[in-house]
Order: sequence, then structure tokens, then C-alpha cells
Amino acid sequence: MDDEPERTKRWEGGYERTWEVLKEDESGSLKATVEEILFQSKRRRVVESHGQVRLGMMRHLYVVVDCSRSMEDQDLKPNRLTATLKLLEGFVDEYFDQNPISQVGVITTKNKRAEKLTDLAGNPKKHITALKKAVDSACVGEPSLYNALNLAVQTLKHMPGHTSREVLIILSSLTTCDPANIYDLIKTLKGLKVRVSVIGLSAEVRVCTVLTRETGGSYHVILDESHFKELLMLHVKPPPASSSSECSLIRMGFPQHAIASVSERDARPSFSMSHLDSGTGPGLTLGGYFCPQCHAKYSELPVECKVCGLTLVSAPHLARSFHHLFPMLPFLESPVEQLQGSRFCEGCQGELRDKSAYVCPSCRGVFCVECDLFIHDSLHCCPCCIHSRAAL
Amino acid sequence: MSWFSHYFCFLFFLLLTSIACFAEDEVNLLVIVVDVNPIWWGQQAQREPEFTLSKCLDGVMVMGNSHMALTRTNKLAVIASHCQDSHFLYPSKSLGGGGGAAEDTSSSRDGKYELLAVANSAIAEEIRNVPSKTEVRGNSTDTLLAGSLAKALCCILTIYSVYPELISCLGQVIKAAEDCALQYMNFMNVIFAAQKQNILIDACVLDSDSGLLQQACDITGGLYLKIPQKLALAQYLLWVFLPDSEQRSQLVLPPPAHVDYRAACFCHRNLIEIGYVCSVCLSIFCNFSPICTTCETAFKIQLPQMVKPKKKKLKMPA
Repeated sequence: MDDEPERTKRWEGGYERTWEVLKEDESGSLKATVEEILFQSKRRRVVESHGQVRLGMMRHLYVVVDCSRSMEDQDLKPNRLTATLKLLEGFVDEYFDQNPISQVGVITTKNKRAEKLTDLAGNPKKHITALKKAVDSACVGEPSLYNALNLAVQTLKHMPGHTSREVLIILSSLTTCDPANIYDLIKTLKGLKVRVSVIGLSAEVRVCTVLTRETGGSYHVILDESHFKELLMLHVKPPPASSSSECSLIRMGFPQHAIASVSERDARPSFSMSHLDSGTGPGLTLGGYFCPQCHAKYSELPVECKVCGLTLVSAPHLARSFHHLFPMLPFLESPVEQLQGSRFCEGCQGELRDKSAYVCPSCRGVFCVECDLFIHDSLHCCPCCIHSRAAL
Repeated sequence: MSWFSHYFCFLFFLLLTSIACFAEDEVNLLVIVVDVNPIWWGQQAQREPEFTLSKCLDGVMVMGNSHMALTRTNKLAVIASHCQDSHFLYPSKSLGGGGGAAEDTSSSRDGKYELLAVANSAIAEEIRNVPSKTEVRGNSTDTLLAGSLAKALCCILTIYSVYPELISCLGQVIKAAEDCALQYMNFMNVIFAAQKQNILIDACVLDSDSGLLQQACDITGGLYLKIPQKLALAQYLLWVFLPDSEQRSQLVLPPPAHVDYRAACFCHRNLIEIGYVCSVCLSIFCNFSPICTTCETAFKIQLPQMVKPKKKKLKMPA
């Protein structure tokens, strides 16, 4: 499934001889091949970086979930809708972990209409509660791509120019029922710089291919549940920013966290503004974050102050995104026999057991496979390089 | 240590084992990172001759021994953080390969539990090698903790894969010298990685308060304590830091420190409450400027709209 229309489809190519992958050695055992396959599957997770490309760090993403009749199909256990919503909960968590200053909204489409499940917000709890509740909803009718995209665009077009506007559609039906010409809508989307990506659950649909090609998104169709999870996680990383997005200085506030206990003399309880969202009614609390401009209180960050409109974040939120801006170089693979010196991994101090080790290009430190995976996935800095002050 | 401290520690031990849950398969790992910056310890030896690095390591060994004695399956690792490098004091590389060979050279003479004797002798031996292995460049009094913590995390992950029953991990940092402000980004990366793996980071600070460690303890859910009296290091370690996370809910521990989460602006390094953030590289500035100094993008400035004055039609006298 690709963007160029000239690429041959899978059924047009030759046979894939999968039995040739397995090779026996002299004694007839497959051990070497199995180890090789396991090794490759471990390595597959290290994704290559984009290089020196400007990324869209402040993202506004709408996720459109198809709730039509085809979602009741049981090829994903227990049915497609439950499996999708469960994976989306994990996606929302991971998304806010990697992009703390971004926002997400959820739209569902069924019965030829589209409606908003949750509005664009920066708080993951709200989305996860709404996704959990949506499992019980009935799947009827046909989806409508036009209505869903229209609904998303109505909010996205008011977003400021320096943020990225994205829509991720999870489409399981092979049909869509639109009230007007969708190709006109695609032209509008292109003009508004909205990037639409689609994950198909059934098969490739031509209108989605055109949609994603014109707007610059990606289109994939899942093979099974683990592939679905992988495809979803591809959208967690910030995409390269389009060349026409503006760069501006955004005014933000960094509130202090006031912790007060009842025993202190001048502890004053106050109302928190976040009760306006949660609907549980106003409650008096002692501590919280006070907006530096208007002193309205909030219980969690990041949040946009409802009184004065200032975006409130804390320094670690911005620090979470730094590793996207300074990506690590992938380590060079080299066979263990060629290494001089001790056969110990610098990270975990264990012996190098696999057939190849990974060498950091700047400090020549040697690491084993698991440490290499951990360093590139979670740590984002080489443990040996950060010891030298020159790397700082 | 005086007999009184011995007695006290023994009593506290009994208390802990009584509230610890005895599940045989649980493996708790404790990693202690000790700051051995030679310049700070040298100055400390002149300020307060009673509390030296060897006394500090005594306290660390007591802590390590207590942890391993609590349950048979507990594991320990000790890392020394030097100016430019970090070394694993226990388990040491020489011990990792041939565990059996080292045991007869250091068999305990006073009937101590074998594992504790091995750990103590390994720590004492390796710390003697540390000053000879690394050279001190410059005379900086700050320590690069981020590197040691990163190595500790890699070590924890390896043990995770070997022992799947690992339920809790504690990383403890004993910090002597000041923070190095340049390592902020690497430090935050390490902290977020620890938070993702559910590793708690505790901090026991000897001299000056450290903003970085306060943030680390707050984000991962560990404890931060600045010790009022350095001589009582072993006592503080055992009282406050030895219980693991489930037991801590039943104890009354020092209250959390007030963490300053304000950002520092890139131009003057002042802490600011309202600032301007570049949308491309996320650098923070205190004043508006037309060009970002880090990524050199020119910003679009919203100019106020120019309103053309309407030409009034002159009324011609009738």
C-alpha cells in the first residue's frame, strides 16, 4: 500500500518462496536460522531518525474511529471495536508521554453521521474515560468520511499556524456515504494544511489512497493485531513539519506548585478552575498550580488557563520533547570477534553473548543488543558519552 | 559504629522484617550510586575530619548488607560516580565471571553471611582501584550523575530480563558535591526513562540542595532528604531509605520538598514565570526577540493592522 499509483499490487508480483528463508546447517538443525530470526526481530524496533528535519512539536490530532456495522466483525478479538478502543487507550497514553504539549480529540462516525466523542484537550484522563465508555455503543450503519473530516476541520482550521493539524482515521468499512463531493473536501484540506492519515482494517480503498496522497499522510492496512499496534505507534512520533508552517514565539506560563497543609497558618483553601471541566462540582483544595498572570488555580498541568488564555506548562514537559530535537545516531554494528579489549558491555557490565555488538560512533563504547535497544527507545543518550563534558 | 547504633539498627531490622511480606519469589533490587568526587571529599576531609569517604562507604555497606539480609532473594548493586566516569563497585567485573574463585579468597572469618562478606570485600577492593583508574581533569567540584544513573538503568534492565519476578527497583543516590547545570537535558532523559520503567529514585544529599535530584524524586515518586548531620549517615539510610515502596505507605517519612518547576530562560539562566517558547526548538526566552538564538528561525511578528483613514467627501457649498 503505497502512494505512487504505478506500484504493482501484491497479487501482481511473483510468488514469495517463504520456505527458502529457513536454511539447515550440516547436521540438519535450524538453530542458527532461528537465532538469526529472533535477533532480527529484536533489531526491527530501532526506527531510523529523520535527520536534521524540523518537526512539528505542538500537535493537534483528531482520531476518527469508524463505528459502522463492519466493526462488529470478530476477526480482531473480541470484536474490532473493542480491540480498536483498547489500542487507542494505549496510544493516547504514549502520545501524551512523547508530546506533552499537544492535544488530541476523538470523533466517531456511524449511521452516515459523525459526532465528537471528546473535544481537543491536553488531558489524557478525559479521553481514556470516554474511550472506555464507548465500548458499549452499538455499531450501526455506514461511516461517512466527508462528515467526519468536515467536523474535524471545523475546529482545526482555527488552530494557530505554528501547530501541526492532523487527522488519523481508523476505517474498517469498505464504503463511505458522503453528502457532497469528497474530492472538493480534499482540496480544502490541502489548502488548510491538514495532514490526514488512514489505518485500514479491511482492505485498501482508493478514496483513502487519494486522500492521504494529496494531504501528505500515510495509509496502511493492518495484517493482525500486533501490526495494528505498530502502525498506531508510528503516529506517536512528531511528524516532519510542513514547509509552510509558521514559526512563532508562544507565550507560556510556568506556575509554581504550592503545597500547603492545614497546619500552616496562612494556608487558604481555594476553588480550582478544573472543576468546570469535570462536572463534579466545585471543591475547596489547599494546594495547586496558580497561573502567574491571573492567579486562577489548576490541579494539573499542562492546561490552558480559562480566565486569561495563557498556556501553562512545567519545565519537564518541554524537556520530554527534547530528545526528538536532538536525535541519537544509531550505533554501528560490529561482530564480537573483531573487538579488541574486554568483552563487556559498558552499559550493564554483562558479557557480550550475541554475535554482534553495537559501538557508539562518538565515544567507541561497546553495548549489547538489549542495552542498545533500551538506549535508543527510552534513554536517548549514550551512557558513556554523557560522562565527557565535551558532549554536553 | 557505637554499640548503641548497632543495637538500634538491630531493633529497626526486627521491625522491618515484621512488616515485610514474605513472598519467596519476589526479587527487590537496590542500586546505590555514591558520589566519590575526590575534590569535594578532599575539601571535606579538611573541613570535618570525622566524616571521611571511608565513613560514608561504611554507611553504604551497612545499607547494602541490610537490604540483602531482609530477604534471601534481594539483590544489590553499587556504583561509584567519579568526575568523568562511573565504576561498578559491586558486582565487579572480576566477580562476575568467576564467582566461585573469589569466594575462597574472601571467606568470612567472623561467621558473617557469605554473601555479605563477599559484597563488603568487593566494595572495599574496588574503591581502592577507583582513584588509580581515573585521572582528574580540572578542579571542578560538581559531579556528572546522569551517566552513573544511565549505567544503573542499563544494569537494572539486564537483571529484569534475567529475573522476571522483579517487582520493585530502588535507585538510591548519595550525593556530595553540587549539581552540574550542563547535564540538565541528559539528566531529564534518564529520569523519564526511569519513570517509564517504574524505578523509584531516592536521594540522600550530604551538602547542598540539588534541584535536579528534587525533580527526579518528584517525577519518579522517590524520597528526597538533605541530611542535617553527616555523621549519622548510616542511621538516616536505614530509617528512611531502606523500606521499599509498599512499606513506605505505613511509615511516617519526611515530607516532600517543595520542587521548583519553573523553567530557566536560555539567555540569562534566570528562573521565569512567564516566558516565550520557540515553536521549533522549544527554547525558552524571557523577552520577545525576532530571531531564536538556538535554531535561528525568524519569527513571524503579528503587526497591528494599519487602518487607512477614510477620505471624507468635502461638502461643496451649495
